[in-house]
Amino acid sequence: MKQNLGRQSGVQNVEVRLIDGKVQVTPKDDGQIDPVQLMKATYDSGVTVAEMDVVAQGKITKDSSGNFSLQVEPNRSFVFDPNELSKGLESLAGSPTAVTVHGQLYKKPPGKKKADLSAPLKLLLLDVQKKE
Amino acid sequence: MNLRKVSLLCWLTFAFVPASQAQIKHIEMRVEGMT
Repeated sequence: MKQNLGRQSGVQNVEVRLIDGKVQVTPKDDGQIDPVQLMKATYDSGVTVAEMDVVAQGKITKDSSGNFSLQVEPNRSFVFDPNELSKGLESLAGSPTAVTVHGQLYKKPPGKKKADLSAPLKLLLLDVQKKE
Repeated sequence: MNLRKVSLLCWLTFAFVPASQAQIKHIEMRVEGMT
């Protein structure tokens, strides 16, 4: 799995801890990393992703449907799974303020073996680390 | 001439700084079924 993940674009380093099943992925600075591709590569390695957390920096945007999201690259953004933390960032939509957040992109539903990767991943904020 | 250089510098700053402020910094997964 480590080799398979390491081959994905935008991946600089992969650390796998067998004892607790944690996989730490360090992205390159090229902005090419794709969490969905990482999940697919993990499944292709024969293991199941139970959770995926990210630390990301970006700007808050609001789409035409009124959904707020974190834009992490010009062509990639994660829609917020609304909670109190995301509501606290809504006022920053459209502003140049960059925020650094820790959030959960995926959690395996109980009883399900494989994720539905066709559905867009939603970002559930767990912590707002920095606003600048 | 200096004014042109300063203008170019300002434009480059606005063009590239926002992009560099946006990125995924770290990803952690918990996986099941690993042997």
